[in-house]
Amino acid sequence: MSDPDRLEVFRAQARSWLAANVPNESAPSEGQPSREFVLRWQQRQYTDGWAGLTWPKEYGGRELSAIEQIIWFEEYAAARAPSTHDASFVGVNHAGPTLIACGTEAQKAFHLPKILRGEVLWCQGFSEPGSGSDLASLRTSGRVVGEEMIVTGQKIWSSYADIADYQELLIRTDPASTRHRGLSWVICPMNAPGITVRPIRTMAGPPKFSEVFYDEVRLPLGNVVGGLNNGWRTAMSTLGFERGTASLALQIRLVYKVEELIRRCKDPALAAQLADLRAQAAALRAMTYRFALSQGRGAPGSEGSIIRLYFAELTQRVTEAAIDVYGIAAPEVLQDHGWGFEYLDGFSETIAGGTAEIQRNIIGERVLGLPRGAG
Amino acid sequence: MQFEPDEDQRAVLDGLEQLLGALDLEAPKEGALSAFSRTLDQQLADSGFLQVAREPGFSLLEAALLVERIARTPVSAEAAASALVLPLLDPEVARPLALGNQITAPARFLPHARTMLVDNGEDVLLVEVDAGNVEPVETLFAYPYGRLRRTQDLRIRALGPTMATPLRRRWRLAIAVEGAGLMQAALDEVLEHVKTRHQFGRPIGSFQVVQHRLAMTAATASAARWLALRAAWSDDEADCAIAATYVQDAIPRLTYDLHQFCGAMGLTLEFRLHLWTYRLKALLGELGGSSAQARTAATRAWSPARQ
Repeated sequence: MSDPDRLEVFRAQARSWLAANVPNESAPSEGQPSREFVLRWQQRQYTDGWAGLTWPKEYGGRELSAIEQIIWFEEYAAARAPSTHDASFVGVNHAGPTLIACGTEAQKAFHLPKILRGEVLWCQGFSEPGSGSDLASLRTSGRVVGEEMIVTGQKIWSSYADIADYQELLIRTDPASTRHRGLSWVICPMNAPGITVRPIRTMAGPPKFSEVFYDEVRLPLGNVVGGLNNGWRTAMSTLGFERGTASLALQIRLVYKVEELIRRCKDPALAAQLADLRAQAAALRAMTYRFALSQGRGAPGSEGSIIRLYFAELTQRVTEAAIDVYGIAAPEVLQDHGWGFEYLDGFSETIAGGTAEIQRNIIGERVLGLPRGAG
Repeated sequence: MQFEPDEDQRAVLDGLEQLLGALDLEAPKEGALSAFSRTLDQQLADSGFLQVAREPGFSLLEAALLVERIARTPVSAEAAASALVLPLLDPEVARPLALGNQITAPARFLPHARTMLVDNGEDVLLVEVDAGNVEPVETLFAYPYGRLRRTQDLRIRALGPTMATPLRRRWRLAIAVEGAGLMQAALDEVLEHVKTRHQFGRPIGSFQVVQHRLAMTAATASAARWLALRAAWSDDEADCAIAATYVQDAIPRLTYDLHQFCGAMGLTLEFRLHLWTYRLKALLGELGGSSAQARTAATRAWSPARQ
């Protein structure tokens, strides 16, 4: 079969499977119901071969190319399947890929199949109350004692920490170190004794974020990913995935959402605005596809920040246009997971995974090669 | 031209400050989606501040100054429609007042309203609201929203299609004045934050990128206030539409910038910023949003009748 024919067959299979399997019910927003829904949907995709399309076969993936991944996400968006920006996001889109890039064989063999099979959820533990944009100033410590480290400190903005099984935890393991040196990226089981999770309510509604407190939490050194005191490098891989390829499905979904608004719009004044958004969505699509198709197995480079920034700001423009298209009191705006939620949730797009200002610094310094500023 | 409040206006504003100072206008408990304060709403009505535009020697301008100040409190009260729209009607029409475009659609303040004004495109209807006939609608937009459970057997008075233009004019004025107050209060909250939040060893307010965008935000809030006060002074169709256009158009950029510099903290309900930005977001789409106001502004400001 020629390549185009093969891809068309793949697309038809994806479309047909999604038509038969996309859940009818709306995804619960929080807590155990959300966990169960997300894991069930992941299991269903895995069972029929629609999870881990680009992951290595030995860990449960299909080792397909980025083209198949894009086709799958196109059909996924068209079928209005559950948003991938749910509690499975961290595990599937950057914890798993970080383990593939930096983990030991034992770590990969244990964790990757569990993620794909929908047995576990992951969360991220990078930011701290005093260390947001300035991530390298983090203070949560891991004191190495024999074959263990004893973790003490606090993390914040950990999405879905209240229902996750594991956390990508970035801590300072060399007490004499400063800034980027002396950090370690550690797999932290969320049921370890000494961990307390406190959900935080956000203005978008459900308590997606949590604070996590660590009181003498003992973790084996075997949980370190990418080498002890080498955590900044591993974290940059994670952030590379998070900023580069993790949002591929969401970027494609946004393009489809713009089309939905265009179909609904009856107001000529708004039509001009939507035409502009459609142009921006087309540009996002082109940038996203080119970037995804150019990636190898490793973590994406700094150019991912261009797409991350463009996507974040376009998300905000599209959701605010939707309020105009539907009207503030429309059911499409007020209902669960409606445009009102999308609009408010969109505020976090230019903050999570590095603020828009940090992305601009990265683009300026690492992509454009401009001199580093004083800050 | 006069840009400072005169003696009488100062006296009215001082009186309002005393009323606000005597109330405990703390933010609602964490997680509350509506920041409506029944106490403030009632006190404003009882004190006569919301009727100021009807008082001899006073005008819509004084009413606008009060509404702008009230909007800066961390709680909401039905002040803008009562102070700026209700003076179009007989004095005996009861407040709180809800405004709507459809009798069946959710409207701001309806759960507390005694009157609803509906501009359905053909007529303006004055609906007497029976509290038992209002179903609260939970939204993410801070104001109390509600919709009428039944639309039969309502006490409705048709005010006639000629009321539509003045109603819309004052509704736009109300959006602009309240929006201007909300913008300023939200900016003030963020200025405090960026002075005290440190990253990279210094207050984030010392970074030029933060300063520049907050400077632009300050200019936007200031422009919104002057346009709104100008519209209140003239009570002119075009001025009101231009002020509402400016405010609604500026809301998305302004709210994104303000939240951006408060980081993830600014997205939580523990942080007070949402108390003003939630309300701004509700105003964003009202009366068709900025594009609808802009079309009205263009029609009115450059119509042959005005040349």
